[in-house]
Amino acid sequence: MNATVPGLAAGRVWAATRFPYLATGLFGTQVVADPGIGTVAVDEGWRLHADPDLAARWTPAQFGSVLVHHLCHLLRAHAERAGPAGVTQDQARRWVRAADAEINDDLVPAGLELPGTPVLPAHLGAQPGLLAEQYFTPRPPRDGAFRLPGQEEAGGWDLDCGSGADGCPRPWDGGGAPLAPWQARLLARQVAQDCLRHGREAGNVPAGLLRWSDELLEPAVDWRKALAAELRRAVADTAGAVDYSYRRPSRRAAVAGDVVLPALRRPVPDIAVVCDTSGSMSEELLAVALAEVEGLLRAVGLARQVRVLACDTAVGPVRRVSSARQVELVGGGGTDMGAGIDAASRLRPRPAIAVVLTDGYTPWPDEPPRGMRVVVGLIGDDAPEAPGWARAVRVPAG
Amino acid sequence: MNGSGRRFAAGAQRHDAAIAALGVAVAARVPVLLWGAPGTGKTSTIRAMAEKMGWPCETVIASIREPSDFAGLPVVVGDGVRFAPPGWARRLAEAGRGLLFLDELSTAPPAVQAALLRVVLERVVGDLALPDAVSVVAAANPPEQAADGWDLSAPLANRLCHLTWDIDPRAVADGLAGGWAAPAVPDLPGRWEAGLGLARGLVAAFLHARPALACAPPSDAASAGRGWPSPRTWDMAARLLAAGDAAEAGEEARSALVRGSVGEGAGVEFLAWLAEMDLPDPEAVLADPASFVLPKRGDRAYAALAAVAAVVAADPTPQRWVAGWQVLGRAASGAPDVAAVAARTLARCRPDGTRLPEEVKLFAPVLRDAGLLRG
Repeated sequence: MNATVPGLAAGRVWAATRFPYLATGLFGTQVVADPGIGTVAVDEGWRLHADPDLAARWTPAQFGSVLVHHLCHLLRAHAERAGPAGVTQDQARRWVRAADAEINDDLVPAGLELPGTPVLPAHLGAQPGLLAEQYFTPRPPRDGAFRLPGQEEAGGWDLDCGSGADGCPRPWDGGGAPLAPWQARLLARQVAQDCLRHGREAGNVPAGLLRWSDELLEPAVDWRKALAAELRRAVADTAGAVDYSYRRPSRRAAVAGDVVLPALRRPVPDIAVVCDTSGSMSEELLAVALAEVEGLLRAVGLARQVRVLACDTAVGPVRRVSSARQVELVGGGGTDMGAGIDAASRLRPRPAIAVVLTDGYTPWPDEPPRGMRVVVGLIGDDAPEAPGWARAVRVPAG
Repeated sequence: MNGSGRRFAAGAQRHDAAIAALGVAVAARVPVLLWGAPGTGKTSTIRAMAEKMGWPCETVIASIREPSDFAGLPVVVGDGVRFAPPGWARRLAEAGRGLLFLDELSTAPPAVQAALLRVVLERVVGDLALPDAVSVVAAANPPEQAADGWDLSAPLANRLCHLTWDIDPRAVADGLAGGWAAPAVPDLPGRWEAGLGLARGLVAAFLHARPALACAPPSDAASAGRGWPSPRTWDMAARLLAAGDAAEAGEEARSALVRGSVGEGAGVEFLAWLAEMDLPDPEAVLADPASFVLPKRGDRAYAALAAVAAVVAADPTPQRWVAGWQVLGRAASGAPDVAAVAARTLARCRPDGTRLPEEVKLFAPVLRDAGLLRG
């Protein structure tokens, strides 16, 4: 669209033909001709600043590859991620190399023809398929101090990717209206949908891009957050069942004159944790989940009321614990969580909430226990579904 | 390259948008809730806003109140009982306008949240109805950041427009140096509600296309405490869209308002649908190629041309095929590369015995440059 950058049209056509699933994003970046900047760079407003002299030296395939590379910086929000990753101004260069590696690791094999030597994970001494945060090391490794000058740049290219890659402003940023962050997100979602559709139909989308699309469209929910929300809800539902009682005078009695007002009483929920200790359980994950439950209960001020039941096919003795480490995971063999839930509901005082931590390979009762809410933590990646009457949260390994 | 001042440009823009969105919601009298970490200036911003507008601002911390503080205190009068409103409500009623600021909403126990339902939406406290010119603004910390936080109950969440309060390092730096900038409440023109019809029409048309989104209470506890689609929130979204247009709020603020009302998922779908609405209908373009106007933004131009090429490819009669080339020909001068990509689709579905139209030549140079055309 900007005639003053030579080879732009041919480069974009090359890129849009070779990577059709990125076409929407490629055409969504606005190209600005900036003579004399000596690079082709992107900024956070989805503007591509190109030095016409530099661009003229590239083949359409090289220009197109640079366009795709820069688009990936924007799609993967490298500028926005730089801050949370702890990147400071003087580390920006290392961050961009890490970000380059995240992009290049599967796009170069897919046919990107970048000018110069693109940064690959191997140059950073890392395995491919990781994220920029994992490639990024704040400081050069110790032995790097003895490297000859220029050696550290192995697999580098002298191209400055711009503020779209590291979030540090460049003098040439500006020119033309930037894409609003909101529109940029909509555009990225569109590209992600194109990637997934193309991946289903043609099947030649690089795995890294597919993972990115999946994560963007359906972000994985942190199980700690989900478990916390379910527990808080269970506690709130019980504690929120505030009722009026005439056993105590109301705080408002003074203004009511002769009228006797009821006071509000709020039940304090009692909680039991049922742990699956059968042979199929991962002890490590159980300890993590148990510690999480304990932390949550402490946060809502209910830690003292916790009773823990260890259960395989039979239920072990009930223990009051103050720390997850005190739970002995004895047992092994078969599993029946129904027995554990049943035992929990027969405790006195009756717990209002039962938290069941299990790998899911267990028979469940058909009916929910009476007067008791059940929150299930399903531990492990391939745990089967919990029954519909319980609130379930998946706790994946790793 | 120096200066962290301009760092996190996207974050700064989001923060500005949140402030603009807050102004629009207050002007439109839609109850709004700011979600943000403790200590990030939500409370001071809202107070500064009231001060700048010269409105009285009554701060009520919900977590240290009882349900009866919002339902009215029972007082025996003669042989009846009156529900007397507390002082803050009476002061607002006397002033005739102002801000009711409900702070720490997410630490209010469930019973208090239930009592707040009528206050938030209908502005009724006990027996006293607050004047129409009173706006309700609330602030809350996400439950995982507040020590004793609860998730907002779904009915209360559904009565509020949820805005995310991001910290913006730039605004913090500026505020420390030169005082905090007070956000202004935009002056809505007297007839802004005329635009409400159009906004409601758009929402209605969208819900016709996606009926499942008319009312979709979320299933998990955490997202039930944020915006979710229901007839009430869709109406709220329409109202905020109209007010945002009248106040000339930016795109970012409008999208924050829509997503805050009906939730992230439904909001994104609605906004994407709105953007698609602007694209020309490919069949209409084929029927009259001369009417085609190329959208300005590259990705929109690509979407429009790709759609035309796709409908031709689906039913390639000679007449439609030639019309398709005419459309691309009109686009070739403005966006040769965008049109060239669509031209490749069109070239593949040439109906038998059709003569190559003139427009094909327009794309030969760029395709040859890209190494996609031999000879």
